[in-house]
Amino acid sequence: MANKRALPADGEQPDRWEAQLRKGALEMATLACLWRGRLYGLEIIRFLESHSQLVLAEGTIYPILNRLKAEGLLTSEWVEAEAGHPRKYYSLTDAGRQRLSLMAEAWTCFSKGLSHLLEPVLEQQEIHQ
Amino acid sequence: MTAETQMESYLTELRLHLGPLTIAEREEIVREISAHVRDSAEESGGSIETVLARLGPVKELAAQYRDGLLIRKASGSLSPLVLLRATLRLATKGIFGILVFFLAILGYAFGGGLVLTALIKPILPANTGVWIENGRLVDSGVLFPPPASPAHEVLGMGYILVALILGSMTLLITTFAIRRSLRLSQRWQSLL
Repeated sequence: MANKRALPADGEQPDRWEAQLRKGALEMATLACLWRGRLYGLEIIRFLESHSQLVLAEGTIYPILNRLKAEGLLTSEWVEAEAGHPRKYYSLTDAGRQRLSLMAEAWTCFSKGLSHLLEPVLEQQEIHQ
Repeated sequence: MTAETQMESYLTELRLHLGPLTIAEREEIVREISAHVRDSAEESGGSIETVLARLGPVKELAAQYRDGLLIRKASGSLSPLVLLRATLRLATKGIFGILVFFLAILGYAFGGGLVLTALIKPILPANTGVWIENGRLVDSGVLFPPPASPAHEVLGMGYILVALILGSMTLLITTFAIRRSLRLSQRWQSLL
């Protein structure tokens, strides 16, 4: 289920800059997981693993969900499951959807600009290879 | 230790470290983490021990919840004490926090100092004010002794008003700048 590419090899720490970049995008990614509907914590973690390269210590996601809920971007409900214990499902509020739309717009605009800037760098790398 | 007791001891410790939160919040967090551990162990067929290790150290997990609460409370507060406490916590996490902390101290000291001089002016009118010589600023504040002639104080009792306004504005700007930085730090945890 998890995308192998998303998992860093054992003992291989992504460098600090890259780690910061990932952390910075985590809030947006968490909101984005919930765009199509409600999910519980572990589902969000697995979703992030398979759809993005944002691999995280599993504990990290829960305080973030807690904060996003306190900020009114998410709501939560306990749902009884077959597993025998209830699970806490999160969904986006209207404010959350609105925030995510704005973030997605800003992100796309930003990354397009950067990709353009980095084009010559990547071209040169291809030639060297 | 059996898997169950391992999990129980993790949850007990988590509960312990979540002290500042309300009981309802704490129990909800513990319930959610416990559901996670069960689901994750079941899904991977792995041991509770592995799942707990992947969850991270219990102290770190609790600290993330506590920091969230501290910063959330502070970013809506006007109290310098609450704000400074949150900034101090932020300062332990990196250069951005340290910068915010020092600017906060500077802002409070400068703003508070100005307001203080405004209160001192009626008591020590000759020693408090802004002195000018040939159109150039010589000194300002509460001075012992005050600058000698030809430097002269220009504001008189107007100093009270000027110092009060400037001082309060500095305090206000400092307060809102700290609150803004705290909110930013939450959004961009990378800067922490």
